[in-house]
Amino acid sequence: MPRLFRALIWVVLSLLGAAAFAILALSRGETVSAAWMIVAAICTYVVAYRFYARFIATRVFGLDARRATPAERLSNGRDFVPTNRWVLFGHHFAAIAGAGPLVGPVLAAQFGFLPGTLWLVIGVVLGGAVQDFTILCCSVRRNGKSLGQMARDEINPLAGSTAMLAVLCIMIILLAVLALIVVNALKASPWGLFTIACTIPIALLMGWWMKSWRPGRIGEASLVGAALLIAALVGGGWVASHPIGAAFTHSGTALTWMMMVYGFAASVLPVWMLLAPRDYLSTFLKIATILILAVAIMVILPPLRMPALTPFATLGEGPVFAGKFFPFVFITIACGAISGFHALVASGTTPKMLARETDAPLIGYGGMLMESFVGVMAMIAACTLDPGVYFAMNTTPAALAGAADVLQQAGFVVTPDQMQALAAQVGEQTLIARTGGAPSLAVGIAHIFSGVSSALGGRAATALWYHFAIMFEALFILTTIDAGTRVGRFMLQEIVGHVWPRFGETSWYPSIVASSAVVVAAWGYFLYQGVVDPLGGINSLWPLFGIANQLLAAVALCVGTTILIKMGRARYAWVTLAPLVWIVTITMTAGWQKVFSADPKLGFLSHAASLAGSADLHAHQRIVNDYLNTFVALLFMAVVALLILVSIREWWLVLSKRKPATVSEAPYVESRYAV
Amino acid sequence: MPFREEGRGKGEGALPFPARVARVVRRIIGAPDYGAYLAHCREAGHPPRLSEREYVKEFLDSKGGVRCC
Repeated sequence: MPRLFRALIWVVLSLLGAAAFAILALSRGETVSAAWMIVAAICTYVVAYRFYARFIATRVFGLDARRATPAERLSNGRDFVPTNRWVLFGHHFAAIAGAGPLVGPVLAAQFGFLPGTLWLVIGVVLGGAVQDFTILCCSVRRNGKSLGQMARDEINPLAGSTAMLAVLCIMIILLAVLALIVVNALKASPWGLFTIACTIPIALLMGWWMKSWRPGRIGEASLVGAALLIAALVGGGWVASHPIGAAFTHSGTALTWMMMVYGFAASVLPVWMLLAPRDYLSTFLKIATILILAVAIMVILPPLRMPALTPFATLGEGPVFAGKFFPFVFITIACGAISGFHALVASGTTPKMLARETDAPLIGYGGMLMESFVGVMAMIAACTLDPGVYFAMNTTPAALAGAADVLQQAGFVVTPDQMQALAAQVGEQTLIARTGGAPSLAVGIAHIFSGVSSALGGRAATALWYHFAIMFEALFILTTIDAGTRVGRFMLQEIVGHVWPRFGETSWYPSIVASSAVVVAAWGYFLYQGVVDPLGGINSLWPLFGIANQLLAAVALCVGTTILIKMGRARYAWVTLAPLVWIVTITMTAGWQKVFSADPKLGFLSHAASLAGSADLHAHQRIVNDYLNTFVALLFMAVVALLILVSIREWWLVLSKRKPATVSEAPYVESRYAV
Repeated sequence: MPFREEGRGKGEGALPFPARVARVVRRIIGAPDYGAYLAHCREAGHPPRLSEREYVKEFLDSKGGVRCC
C-alpha cells in the first residue's frame, strides 16, 4: 500500500506540472500568475531529480558509496576535504550561480515569458544538470582532474589544448559582457557608484582584519563588512541628493577605465587583500538575497504583465537583441539552462570535497536545478514589469525607434513622464536605455521586495531596494571580474610558459604585471566597444558570450560522451549525446546568423557593409569591431567543429574495436566511510 | 576508523556549537580553515607541517577561484 501511495504522489506531481505548463502555454491575453511558473518548474525538477538523476547515477555511472572519493583518499585538510553533502551543495551553488542566470532570462523576456521559461526548465533537466553531474562524476573518478586535463587524457592532446584556448577566449568575452552590465547600471548613478566604490575599502579592511589584525577571524570580519555595506547603501542615498554626488556621477567611458584599473589591481594584488574578502562578502549577500527573493515571490505571487509570446519571437527584430527565438533564446539563456562554465567548477574545487560518490546527484544535478530556479525567478521579476517599461529600459533610443511600430501595435508603450516618475521612485536620474538586464531586474526585485515590506507594515522603500538589488548584482559581477582576470592571467602565464619558462612562474612580478595587463586590455577592448556602441553593446556582446559559453558546454559534453563510450556504456551515450547535438545545432546556427545574416542588425558582416561610406566619424572603428566580432565568432565555431571531429574519430576507433576502450580512472579503493 | 566529515558536526563533540557553524560557513564560502587542517593531521597521524600563516597562504595560492558567470 505505501508503494502504491508513493507511485500516486509521483503521478499527481507529474500531472500538476503538466497542468501548470498548459496554463502558461495556453494563456492568451489574460494575466497569468507567477505561481504557475513556479509550480511548473518545481514539479519538473522534482520528477527529473527522482527519476532521471537516479537513472544516470545508478545505470549510467554506477556510482558506488563504497568506493573512496579523492576527498577521502587524498585528504590534506586544504583542498581535498570530505565535506557534508549539504555544505558542499551550498559551496557548489555559490560557485556556479552568478550574474548569468539573473541576466539571461531578463534579456530573453523580450520574446515573452514562455520561450525562456520552457528552455530554462526543459534545458536544465535534460542538458545543464546532466552536463554538471556527468563532469562531476568523471572528475571524481579521476582524482579531481580539470576539464582540460580530462580532454587531453581521454580524447587527445589536441583536444586538451583546444579546450584550454577555448576557456581563455570565453573568459575574456565573459568578463567584457559582465563589466558592460555593471557600467550600464552605474553610469550617471551617484547612489549606485558610491555604494559599489565603498565595497573596495570595505574589502581591504576585511582583508587586513583577517590577515593581520585578528588572523583567521573570518566571521567577525564578515559581520563588520556586512554592516559597513548596509551603511554604504543607505549613505549612497544621501550622497545622491548632496552636491558631493557630482563626484560619483560618471559617463560609461569613464567607468570603463575605472573597471579596467580595478581589474588590473585585483589581479596583481595578493588574494587575501581584495579578492578573498570581497568573494566572502558577495557569497553571503548572494545566498541571502536569493533565499529572500524566493520567499518574497512565493508569498506575493506577482502577476506576469508580459505576454506569453511577443511579436519579436517570430519577427526577429527585437530591440533588446536581434534574431528570432530560434536559435537566440537558447544562447541568450545559457546559465540557468546549460552553461559550459559550470564544467570548470564541477571539475575544480567540488570533486575534491565530495565525501561519497552517491552524494554526486544532489550536488551536480541538484545544484544546477537550483540555479535554473534562480533563472525562473529572474524571468518572473522581469515579466512583472510593465512591458513598455521593460523595453524602454533595455534598449537604446536608436534601437527603440527602430522597433517603434511593433511596440506600438503590441501596446508596449510608456510615456517619458511615466519613465521619469519611475526613475524618481527608485532614486535615479533616468532609467531609459539602462541595457544589460541588471537594472530592469533591480526594478522588478524592488517592486517585489517593497510589496513585501509595505505588506509587513513598513515603508515601501523602493529606492533603497532598487539600489540593494544593484549592489547585490554589481558586487558578485565584480567578484567574477577580479577572479576571472586572475584565472585568465594564470592561463596566459601557463601558455607563454611553454615557450618562455620564466614567464610561467606565477610569482615572478614582471610576468604578473604583463599578463594581467594583457588580459585586462583584451576584455577592456570589448567592453569599450560595447559601451560606445549605439545599439547598446549587449546586442553584439551577449550573443557572442552565449555562443562561447555553449561552446564550452559542447566541449564538456564531448568529454562526457567519450568517457561513457570508453567505460563500455555506449548504450547510454545518448544521455550526453542528445544535449550535445542540440547545443551544437543552436550554437552553429546562431554563430552563422551573427556572422552572415543579411540583416545589418543581426549580422556582423552586413552591419559592416551598411556602415561603409558612412559620414559618421566612428564608422571606421565600428567596421573594425564588426570584423573582430566576426573573427571571434568564427574562431569559436572552428574550435567546436575541430573538437567534435576529433571526438567522433575517437568514438569510431573505440566502437570499431581499433582502439582498446580504456579509461584512466583512479583505481578502486574501499571507502572507510562505508557502512 | 569512525565516520567523520568536515563541517558535519557529528564526531566533533569537542567543538562548541558556534565553532561548528563557523566551520560550515567557511566551507560554503571557500575560506581557509586551519582547524580542519589540524584535524586532518591528527587523523593522518602526523604533526602539522604548516603554521596557520603558512596554511592560509598555501590555501589561497592553490585556490583557482573559478566563479561562474
